[in-house]
Amino acid sequence: MRYVRSLRLLLLAVTGLWHSLLLAQAGPPNIVLILADDLGFSDIAPYGSEIQTPALNALAENGVSFTNYHTAASCAPTRGMMLTGVDSHRNGVPNIPETIPPELAQYENYRGTLSHGVVTVASLLQDAGYHTYMAGKWHLGQTPDLLPSRRGFERTVTMADTGADNWEQKPYIPIYERANWYADGERTTLPEDFYSSRFLVDKMIEFIDSKHADRKPFFAYLPFQAVHIPVQAPQEFTDKYMGVYDAGWTALREQRQSRARELGLVPATADMVTMSTTNDWDAYTEEERRYHAKRMAVYAGMVDAMDHHVGRLVEYLKSIGQYDNTIFIFTSDNGSEASGGDDVRSPLMRLSLAMNGYTNDYDTLGLKGSFNAIGPSFASAAAGPLAYYKFYAGEGGMRVPLIIAGEGLPVKGEWTSAFAYVMDIAPTILELSGVKPPGRYFGGHPVEPMTGRSLLPLAVGKVDRVYAETESVGYELAGNAALFQGDYKLVRNYLPVGDNRWHLYNIATDPGETEDLSVSMPERFVLMQTLYADYAADNGVLPLPADYDATFQGVANGIRERFGLHILVALLTLLVLVPLYFAYRVSSRR
Amino acid sequence: MNTLLRILVVVPGIFFTCIGLLWLIAPANAAAALGMPLLDGVGRSTQVADMAVFFLALGMMTVLAAISLKSRWFQLPALILLGAAAFRVLAWLVHDAALAVEPIALEVVVGCLLLFASSRLAEKE
Repeated sequence: MRYVRSLRLLLLAVTGLWHSLLLAQAGPPNIVLILADDLGFSDIAPYGSEIQTPALNALAENGVSFTNYHTAASCAPTRGMMLTGVDSHRNGVPNIPETIPPELAQYENYRGTLSHGVVTVASLLQDAGYHTYMAGKWHLGQTPDLLPSRRGFERTVTMADTGADNWEQKPYIPIYERANWYADGERTTLPEDFYSSRFLVDKMIEFIDSKHADRKPFFAYLPFQAVHIPVQAPQEFTDKYMGVYDAGWTALREQRQSRARELGLVPATADMVTMSTTNDWDAYTEEERRYHAKRMAVYAGMVDAMDHHVGRLVEYLKSIGQYDNTIFIFTSDNGSEASGGDDVRSPLMRLSLAMNGYTNDYDTLGLKGSFNAIGPSFASAAAGPLAYYKFYAGEGGMRVPLIIAGEGLPVKGEWTSAFAYVMDIAPTILELSGVKPPGRYFGGHPVEPMTGRSLLPLAVGKVDRVYAETESVGYELAGNAALFQGDYKLVRNYLPVGDNRWHLYNIATDPGETEDLSVSMPERFVLMQTLYADYAADNGVLPLPADYDATFQGVANGIRERFGLHILVALLTLLVLVPLYFAYRVSSRR
Repeated sequence: MNTLLRILVVVPGIFFTCIGLLWLIAPANAAAALGMPLLDGVGRSTQVADMAVFFLALGMMTVLAAISLKSRWFQLPALILLGAAAFRVLAWLVHDAALAVEPIALEVVVGCLLLFASSRLAEKE
């Protein structure tokens, strides 16, 4: 068996070398980096989903798909690490700025905006002669010097917040005064017929088309809003999934687990846990079940719509003869999103939505003016068969799909179970394009060196892993923490869903994180905690304030951001008026 | 009703006095209870002296209000408490302090209670 595997690796290495030569002869390839938002591990068809994603299927069949790729469990830290290859605690984005407590935000690398001490892969490619385009969500800072137009992107249309409405230019939560969209660094207004996935692909095609004639390669970064809340989709896409989820979230999670086993994404013996936040489907009334099933149908429609527009981009590239010289990288910024709860029809919830100009009525769910989220129970199914979801360091929060594909790659329809990490994307892109990573300086300024690894050797079949068994990769985000080493993962999930204690799992045999090995493997447990402490010290991971609560912090930061000046003026006015009032009373008594 | 109101005023007065005494007896515990480390050297001297006198004065004025029923003894601690709440918000807005919701709520509630008690209980001066 070992000989067969060695022979296969040798053959792949030879074909890989041949294709590398072909790639070199064809000149630097175009690179399309597609990032879905809050897409769970099993949400696309190649990863066992019932959701139809033919464009992503085609990509998976034309390259290599990763079953053990890990990202950060929240939006901005992923984006920062993916574009720079530098740890989030060194690139300024250890958490989303909306939930960073002010006690930590005073530190340079804890502002939640991309530090000027790092260089983006776009800047490096631009320097190397690439056209660099971006259409989609940025969320790495929105002062003029932090927008993508100043971070290496030649043409941009970008939304700078955590999220926004998909049908109109409207903030999705009241911490924002408006949806902050920019075009080439200037505030912009969205068109009347806006739908996020269609609009972003239209703009990307427009960008590519505008410079296509000069024959220079391009880097196209396409971070979709799909499927971040509010979950919204055109009716015709939602209609395809009406009735599909009538059996509920537990049935769906089991179905996804079964499919993942069949496909070999997880071992056939891999078990899974039921999250404490998963409600009992059978306890709901028929009317309630019908409503919840439609929530998920809209979600599936939104994934399907995104795939449809990815397909349009692929067709466009074929039409201009650039498809064969393009490498596609598709992934998600974190696992599925559980916010919104399952009690979404309560008067309080409907009132709070109404105050922000939304409804969540059954008939219009997912359409313009409607706010939809899948909640924790369906989110667990979307991450199935993994544990936890977005924000948490469980596999469901961190393990997401990754596909690297293109005609120039020798590997077709292959899977790899090699560990890969979000910081590896930037070095991979650089190696694909033949551009050297930055050293200690870029543009005369000191920068953090990239610490990620290129995954290209995996994508061309030269190796079966890029991290040695003994090498470790650390991670921390708002108290949720992990350390990966070989097949093992040390993990701590923060409150309220986690217990804020360390656990140890073998994620190769037990990706569902069902069997804690901390007692049976005490030496490894202690060693990995020591390695994590080293990682935290080396990268400047700061402890959270006592009683940190991300939701409360988000509300407090939002109030300060939106109403801080008003509150300050009111307070100062009071501080002047009150002493004057008492002085008046005292003098009037005399 | 008025007796109950006087008791309600005395309770926070005693509470503040106890915190003031705690600063004199076990400053490390008092500091931890307020979410701050105990400083060293001159910092500790200032911390212990200023915090102790703040809480003792606040507590004594509040108790004195309930005993004397003079409006000024109600109004002074009320102003101090409402001022502290306002400055906490200011610290959050301007100086990156945490938004300390529970202490702010306590200060506002007790401050308003003292003003209400003043209007109901205080003798005409």
